[in-house]
Order: sequence, then C-alpha cells, then structure tokens
Amino acid sequence: MTPPDLGIILYTAAFALAGIGILGIVISTHLVRIVLSIVLLETGANLLLMLSGFRFDAVAPVIVDGNLPASMVDPVPQALVLTAIVIGVAVQAFMMTLVLRLRRVYGTLDIRELRELLERDLAHEAGIRLPSSEDAPVPSDGSPAVAREGGA
Amino acid sequence: MTQPVLLFALPLLAAFLLPVVWRISAAAGRLFGPLVLGVNVAIGLLAWDGVANQTRVIALGGFAPPFGIAFYIDRLALLFAVAVSLGILLLWPAGRDGEGASREATLTLVLAAAGTGLALSGDLFNIYVFYELTAIASYGLAAARGTGAGYAATMRFVVIGSFGAALMLIGIALVYQAAGTLNLAQLAEVAPGTLDGTLGLAAFVFILVGAGVKAELFPVNTWVPEVYGAASRRVAGLLAGIISKLALLIILRLLVLVFQHAEALQVMLLLGMLGLITGELAAWRARDLTRMLAYSSIGQLGVMFIAFSIPGEAGVYAGLAVALHHMVVKPALFLLAGRWGGAVERLAGAAQASPLAAALFILLALSLIGIPPLPGFWAKFLVVSSALAQPGAAYVFAAAAILIAAVVEVSYLFRVVARLYRRLPAATLPPPPGRPDLAVGSLLGAVLIATVLWLAPLGDGLQGIAAEAADRDGYIEAMNPASGLLP
Repeated sequence: MTPPDLGIILYTAAFALAGIGILGIVISTHLVRIVLSIVLLETGANLLLMLSGFRFDAVAPVIVDGNLPASMVDPVPQALVLTAIVIGVAVQAFMMTLVLRLRRVYGTLDIRELRELLERDLAHEAGIRLPSSEDAPVPSDGSPAVAREGGA
Repeated sequence: MTQPVLLFALPLLAAFLLPVVWRISAAAGRLFGPLVLGVNVAIGLLAWDGVANQTRVIALGGFAPPFGIAFYIDRLALLFAVAVSLGILLLWPAGRDGEGASREATLTLVLAAAGTGLALSGDLFNIYVFYELTAIASYGLAAARGTGAGYAATMRFVVIGSFGAALMLIGIALVYQAAGTLNLAQLAEVAPGTLDGTLGLAAFVFILVGAGVKAELFPVNTWVPEVYGAASRRVAGLLAGIISKLALLIILRLLVLVFQHAEALQVMLLLGMLGLITGELAAWRARDLTRMLAYSSIGQLGVMFIAFSIPGEAGVYAGLAVALHHMVVKPALFLLAGRWGGAVERLAGAAQASPLAAALFILLALSLIGIPPLPGFWAKFLVVSSALAQPGAAYVFAAAAILIAAVVEVSYLFRVVARLYRRLPAATLPPPPGRPDLAVGSLLGAVLIATVLWLAPLGDGLQGIAAEAADRDGYIEAMNPASGLLP
C-alpha cells in the first residue's frame, strides 16, 4: 500500500469515528452508551488533529548527534493531542462519577426516565404542579429523590 | 510591578493553595478566595492606563510568538479579565460549611483563573485549553449542591459540553491543517489565502457550535434551564452573566481576525435570531422565576449574536454594549431570585416583605426590557439601529425580532412584578432576599443608575475599545508574529 492511500484511510477513519460518536450521542438512551459515544467522538477529533501535522515520509523531530533530520513530522499537533487526551480523560472520569451518583440517587440510567425525574424534582422544588390530565396515573412516590440518597 | 500575567497566574496558584490554607484555618480559607480576587481586580485596574496607551503582548516563558504561546492584552481583553474577577468576587459562594465549602471555593478560583486566561489568550489552542478548564470548573460548581436534580442537570451539561469541545477540536484541526499555525495574529495574516473557502467556513461553524455551548447558542443550549434551575442561584448568575460572555469574546476575536466570510456572519445571525425567539417564548411560558431568567438569558445572548453578526466596528460596539449590560443585570436578577426562587405564584406579597428588593427588581427588569433612559435601552438601540443600517432583509428581520422580543419581555417580567405587589396578610409573606444577596444586587443596581448619569463618556470609551477590537491590522502589528521567526 502506498502512503497517500494510508492518509485517505486515516482521514476517513477520523471522520467516521467522529460521525459514529455523534450518532451515538443522539440516538442512545443509556447514559453509559452516551459516555462511550463521547469517547469515540473525541478519539476521532484527536486523530484528525494528529493527522493535520503528520508526514508519512518524515521522522520524529529529534536532533540526534547535532544533525537535523532532512524532513521532520510537525511536533505541534502531537503536543496538542497529548493535552486534548488528558483533558478528555479527566472529563470522562467526571462523567462516570456522575453516572454512578445518578444510579445511586435515581436507580436508573435511562435518559428518558432521568429527564422526567429531573423535571419532577425541579418542579417540586419550585412548588409547581406538573401539568397532567385527570386520567394520568397517580405518582407512587411524590417525594424528591434527595431524601433517598442516604439509603442507597 | 503590575504584571498582567498575574491576572491569570494568581487565582490558579491560589486555587491549589486554598485546600491547604483551609486545613490550617477555616476562617482564613474563607477570606482567602475573595482576597485573591480583590487583588486581581486591583492589578487589572492598575494595568489599565498602561494598556490603554499601548497594547501589551506577553510571550509566556520567553518564547516569542508564533512559536511560544502569547497573551494578547488590549483594553477589551483587560476589561473582560477585570469583569470576570469582579463578577466572581461579587458572586462568591457564601454560607456553606464543611468540606463542601472549601471545594466550592477552589473550583470558583479555578473558574476565575480559566476565565481570565480565556480573555487574555492570543492562541487558538490555548483558548481551547482554557475553555475546557472553564467548562470543568463549571461542571463541578453546577453539581455542587449534591441533589439528584443537580447531578442529572450537570450530566446533560457535561454531555453537551464534551460534544461541543470535540467539535471545537475538529474545527481547530481543520484550521491547523489549512493554515499551519494557531497563533491568532499569524492566522489573521495567512487566513485570506488559506481559510476563505468552504474549509474555513466549516472550521468556523465547528468552533462556533463548540464555543456556543457556553454562550447559550441556539441548538446547543438545552442544558441552560435545567442547570440554572438545579444549581445554586449564584452559580446560575455566574454562568449566565459572566462565563457566557467569555465564549462570545472568543467568537468575536475569531470573526474579526480569522474568518471573514459573509456566510459565517449569516450563520450567526440566523442562530442568534432563533435563540432570541425560542428563548423569549420559552421564558414567557415559564412558571418559575429561575427558569424564566434562564430562558430570558438565552434570548439576550441571541441579541448579542445578532449584534456580532453585523460586520464592522458598529456591530462590535453594539454587541459589547449588550454584553456588558447583561453582565450587570442578569447576576443581580439571579441574586434576587435566590430566596424567592420557585413558582411565580409564590411571590405574591414579596414587595411587602422587602420593598427594596421589589424596587430593585423593577429597575433591573426595565433595563432588561430596554426602557429609556436605562442603559438597556441604549444597548438595544445600538443593535437595532446598526442592524437597520445594513443592507439585506435578514438584518431588518433581526431588528424586528428584537423589538417584538422586547414586547414579550414586558409581558412576562411584569407578570412577575404584578405578583410582587399583590397585597397579602403579613403572616403569609414570602421570605425577603438574604442580606448579602440584596447588598450585591443593590450595588449592581447602583452601577446601572451610575451608567445612566455617565452614559456619554462610558459610551465613548466603549466605542474606542470596540474600534481597537475590530482593528485587524492593529492586532497583527501588536503581536508581530514575524519577529519570532528566525531571519
């Protein structure tokens, strides 16, 4: 395989990873899947950033024995990717902590259920009754979820 | 003595010292944060005269741009850096005890450091790093109350924020691909040949959506009402009033320096109008005060996007006027909502309990709507008049949208005011706002009235700042990236 083909493959892979990630964020209903989709999206973005300064015919930009290599890979994007990866890992760790907390407080990771619970809690705190019809089922537990946190 | 780099370095250092100080003495720890921010504001004000005479460029670590990372400090950057420090000082999280308080104070200091860094940075990747640092600090603050609703709202904030950050990173990769540099001045030099095509437009849209998460831009602002509703009102005021404007500042710099597409402005105009319309209509429907304020801030940010989409100095001037006005008004409103927060129906009789708070609310509401002679009128007038001076039907629509939105604002804000002044027996009155909240709110109200009195000199000063910010060649010349290149 010739080097330019490799470039095309890698660019396609970068955009495909980002695309899969975005699709996953949009269509997933499970929080852990959403977190994983974000990981994919970030990997795609990092790969793209990496490729933006990469040259297939060059070597690492290291001066050996005082000799400057004839052609070097641009080191700037690699430094940037390193930073981006570190930031990404920190945010992902934070997201997983939140996922754990949510699981403990609400007992579910389905975003549709979480959205309803969030609306209920916010309305409860504000002292608003949510709009509902007379035929709506009576909520089994009207208390805010904060009260249950300790028991989990 | 007044080294502007300290504006960023001091709060960052203090943030990491704070847990240690807190452990030695909780009382000292409590004072430490506000003290550092106070020093920061003083440094900024002392540096003002020097910067007003000549823009300063600081090459961090002694590496000259474009190789090193540079801070670019003109009056606009310094203004925002001081505003961030002062705003965070005024909205300093108060009252909680124990370990939670020290963590919250640490995060707030990190937020101050990242915010000033964002305002001063002259390098696209550095902007990304500070933007993420701001984001992480605000995620922590949004979840700090430790309620289930807080976690759920923050989760959505983090998901949308990470999505935006990844898009911003893709945009930066595209820029680097095409231009081979991330220094803003060097980008400004090479942009006409490399970034004026479709690739440049795509990069701009990616970065716009990425930064738009914080700036409450139309499609990526769904976290706003939930986070502001679930977080403490001070954090809501901080995010809506201060941090959102920093994201706007990035977009402004990029528009002026790098992306000179007519289409880029049209995209911003369209998204700004959509944000304005959806925000104001949602605020009109909102039934609790906090969410009403959150939606109204989406609408106001929409006005700022419309203003910055007006090409040239007039747009920058108008946008800055709206941004600074909102920076004063919205935190004050969130502070008033601190104790009042909740259903609008619950507010009946609040004017009896605290006449000052109710009067303050009316003052702020009037300025937000844009009633002369308050500064809100002046800011909106600048936007509408400079939009109408532009050719093209889109700007006329935008001006019409701003005026119609003002009518909607009257409708919902005065629904609240009518509740405040309903008479009730004394036993059932809602609690008055806390004393520190009311003090800061009154201070911000006083700033509004002072602005009315000194509108002419302040307006001229702001116009000068806007002219400097819109001056692309001036930026390149001050940064002078070629000087760092080897001969």
